[in-house]
Amino acid sequence: MKKYLRSIISLTAVCAIVALLMGVTNYFTAPIIKQRENDAANEALKVVLPDGEGFEKIDISKYTLPTTVDEAYSEKNGGYVFKMITAGYGSNFVIMCGIDSDGVVKGTKVISSSETLGVENEYGDKLVGVTVETVDGVDTVSGATKTTAAYKNAVKDALMSFDILGGKEVDIRDEAQILADKLNAALPQGEGKFSKEFISVRIDESVSAVYKAENGAGYVVVLGEIFVGVDSENKVVTADVDESTKTTATDTAKKLESVTLEELDITNLTALPKQIQKVFVTDEYNYVFEIRCAGYGIEGGNQWHPASGEYIFIKLSLDKENKIIDCITVSQGETDGIGSVCADESFYGQFAGKDKTNYSQIDAISGATITTNGYLKGVQAAFEAFEILNGEE
Amino acid sequence: MKNKNLSILLKGLLTENPVFVLILGTCPTLAISTNVIGAIGMGLAATAVLICSNFVISLLRKFIPDSVRIPCYIVIIAGFVTVVQMLMQAFLPELYDMLGVYLALITVNCIILGRAEMFAGKNGPVKSVLDGIGMGLGFTLALLCMATVREIIGAGSFAGIEIPFMKDYTISIFQKAPGGFMVYGFMIALVYAVTHGKAPRKKEFSCENCPSASLCSNCQKKEEA
Repeated sequence: MKKYLRSIISLTAVCAIVALLMGVTNYFTAPIIKQRENDAANEALKVVLPDGEGFEKIDISKYTLPTTVDEAYSEKNGGYVFKMITAGYGSNFVIMCGIDSDGVVKGTKVISSSETLGVENEYGDKLVGVTVETVDGVDTVSGATKTTAAYKNAVKDALMSFDILGGKEVDIRDEAQILADKLNAALPQGEGKFSKEFISVRIDESVSAVYKAENGAGYVVVLGEIFVGVDSENKVVTADVDESTKTTATDTAKKLESVTLEELDITNLTALPKQIQKVFVTDEYNYVFEIRCAGYGIEGGNQWHPASGEYIFIKLSLDKENKIIDCITVSQGETDGIGSVCADESFYGQFAGKDKTNYSQIDAISGATITTNGYLKGVQAAFEAFEILNGEE
Repeated sequence: MKNKNLSILLKGLLTENPVFVLILGTCPTLAISTNVIGAIGMGLAATAVLICSNFVISLLRKFIPDSVRIPCYIVIIAGFVTVVQMLMQAFLPELYDMLGVYLALITVNCIILGRAEMFAGKNGPVKSVLDGIGMGLGFTLALLCMATVREIIGAGSFAGIEIPFMKDYTISIFQKAPGGFMVYGFMIALVYAVTHGKAPRKKEFSCENCPSASLCSNCQKKEEA
């Protein structure tokens, strides 16, 4: 009996002492081990925010952040690291962006991307040091506009998220969203679906753009910063608009509603440039042209990237002084992300108000010389056609 | 007396080298000897555990009853292994990641249990510590020799530094288990040739020094005889 007892006691004692020893060691090493594990996890975060320490993940569901923000980490000194998922030329373009407590981008890094050119790996360096005010001033890289623009926008979103997490009120809507919101506010009957109206006749010069509700509920006339909704009965529905603006808006809407186009028979007008497909005369006796331009889709291509075989179709209206009233790209088959910029309003919107002496003074599409040249030839053809048509008369 | 202590210390290095002569700790030897850094780390970790466990076991050798000595030894060894593991994870994380599961397996490394049985359980603390140092360094040395051969031939590098000519002609089987056995075999032969019979013959240390000799009926019969 004594023998058993002694065995039990000695084994228990040995176990207890060993357990105590392990406990003491654990007490001292556990914080260090945890620290090391954290450091390892934060190594990736350190790359974009080298001075950061003590990173902690933030529950971003509590905030209204731009949708590109996937994860956010705060840091002891007030800086943040954001993991952004966006879509560049391909989808699933993942970027880390570190911002210090002053709101300055300290580093960005591409985690994964399916971009084609690899430009994004160097582009991040250009964004180091920018703030929310200066990020728009960074140039995109020609030939990789989509990728670099997506990168820049993601960093901009990160900077805005930084402000939001800092407690600032920030408008996280992008330009398209702001426009849609303004249009909807001006004409709620449009149910949020508007398309830019092609302006074929000369309208009041203070009008910068006109949007038509797709359901026929009326127009939104934009006069500088003011959005005026005009319903289908030609009544202004937007409040707080002065009388003269109201009159301009209703006149514009009425004019666009009632304008009629008559197609001219151009089969005998062989002198017309070959780009001119159709010519219309409005009831105010100015011309609207449908133009077919040969861009990269026709003129370009090489053995690796054959041309699409598609023309760029544009619609262009000229007033009686041979000045462009409006110009719009109807369809195109240019290289996606490069020449396809010609379908953006930022490009074709530049032509409004130009005449034959200064139409070429526009910002060309970077990296898409053939597209730009083809487009400009098409616009030039309209001016020539105007002169021929007037000479005929 | 001093000479005897010195011989206790030195015998582990060659004449009673635990790996090449006593054929103990074969599993970690084959597993960890693919690169020099890991081998040294593993050897030193095992040495630390061996010294500590030898010391504690020799202190407790009179207190621990025979019937529960194996569980007691295991608990003590496992405790020291865990302590070393925690310290290593805290202060040498790269080595900790490299050794992986083999670090925890030091617990069942038969060198440690073997020395506890063969030596620490029968000798005083000073001698046991010296035995622990000698055997630990012997184990480290054995691992280092194996790893040097296997890393240079198998990976064309030494301690992670590439060797210009060798790296173009690596024989990758030396990094795998068969290469480990081959090197092991040659090493044993080499040590036998060098010690030239001075090393204890297998039958000299086999049964009576076996950790489970007292439980083994075969061995007891022999002793009686």
